[in-house]
Amino acid sequence: MAGVSTKEIKNRIRSMESTRQITKAMEMVAASKLRKAQEQVLSSRPYFEMLYSTMNDIVDSTRDFSSPYLGQRKGNKTLHIVIAGDRGLAGGYNSNVLKLAMSEMAEQEVTTLPIGKKAAEFFKYKEIASLEMNYADAASVTLGDCFSIAKEICKLFRNRSFDRVYLSYTNFVTVLSQEPACIRLLPLLRTKTERDGKMQSDVVYEPDEATVFDAIVPEYLGGVLYGALCESRASEQAARRTAMDSATKNADEMIDDLSLRFNRARQAAITQEITEIVAGSQ
Amino acid sequence: MNTFPLRIVTPDGVRFDGDAEELIVRTTSGDIGIMAGHINYVAPLGMGQATVLAEGNKRYGACIGGMVSVVDGAVTLVATTFEWSEDIDIDRANASKKRGEEVLSDKNASDADIMLAKARIKRALVRSGVAGQRKLY
Repeated sequence: MAGVSTKEIKNRIRSMESTRQITKAMEMVAASKLRKAQEQVLSSRPYFEMLYSTMNDIVDSTRDFSSPYLGQRKGNKTLHIVIAGDRGLAGGYNSNVLKLAMSEMAEQEVTTLPIGKKAAEFFKYKEIASLEMNYADAASVTLGDCFSIAKEICKLFRNRSFDRVYLSYTNFVTVLSQEPACIRLLPLLRTKTERDGKMQSDVVYEPDEATVFDAIVPEYLGGVLYGALCESRASEQAARRTAMDSATKNADEMIDDLSLRFNRARQAAITQEITEIVAGSQ
Repeated sequence: MNTFPLRIVTPDGVRFDGDAEELIVRTTSGDIGIMAGHINYVAPLGMGQATVLAEGNKRYGACIGGMVSVVDGAVTLVATTFEWSEDIDIDRANASKKRGEEVLSDKNASDADIMLAKARIKRALVRSGVAGQRKLY
């Protein structure tokens, strides 16, 4: 029983306690950041829903125009935008989205655009080509940045540097569940098949469909990017909060366990001492 | 006056959600006014002042980028940025204009920089113009 010295156990308890303090603090920081991020997600959702549905309406309801953004291309050059976090210690947040991105990228001619330090480091380590755009810091990317990225992507897509553009990010479902997702941004495809008569749209586009469409596409991409970024940020904080919460709980458990062992060892030492004294006095 | 449901949404949140009598907004092909019973319509937005007439009151906003759509009588203004005249930070707009002008006066500025600076000045002018409107009534 007295095999482990009380001093050793005491040292371990002390180190566990300081770890617990750190995880507890990180959990609280994440919780307060999560609240802000969640608000941002909620306030921006109506915007994207509107943008998305109008976009689809135009794509689906009109047949008599062509656009560089519309229709499948033969080439295989892909741009993959990956949004991850800047820091670790967020449970499976970073690895989940990076894993998904890697599986989506398989057997394609891929260039990445990483957003977030973890994503940038990962692709550097894997030696996958990435666009240098200085958006490594996910926390500091603003709405304006999203629109300039979108404009840049549109330009690259139009001059055929890329034939496809994908985006991997993490969907913020609830505080307890976040799902990595991969969506195709470009080219845009018609989702509905031809249904004559019904397809004829009665919407007035000014000046005309193609112009409206080409003007809205960069807007749409910027919007989607910003939305994905908001979702990812909220997911990161939520994942970190959950991870740190369970780390704190584990630390608590270990401290309890070690305290018990410490008390037993101390008791054993005292008992032994008494036995020795009694034996000596006889 | 007849009213129609109007929603003004931006990435920062919903700016207006209710019934309006008239909406005047600047599209890329010029100002348009929308009243109740408008035909289904979609147009991309330019940079300019938006006027909303609701419950007899006129409100002005600086509206930059995005699009306006009318679907079955419901009007949605999806704007990249939209600020009501009372929310506009004039000092910021003026500072932004000054920064833009500095770039324009710099002979070594690149074309991309000049384009950005011009857009910046335009936005600042729209904002300060709209902010000035509120004093008129």
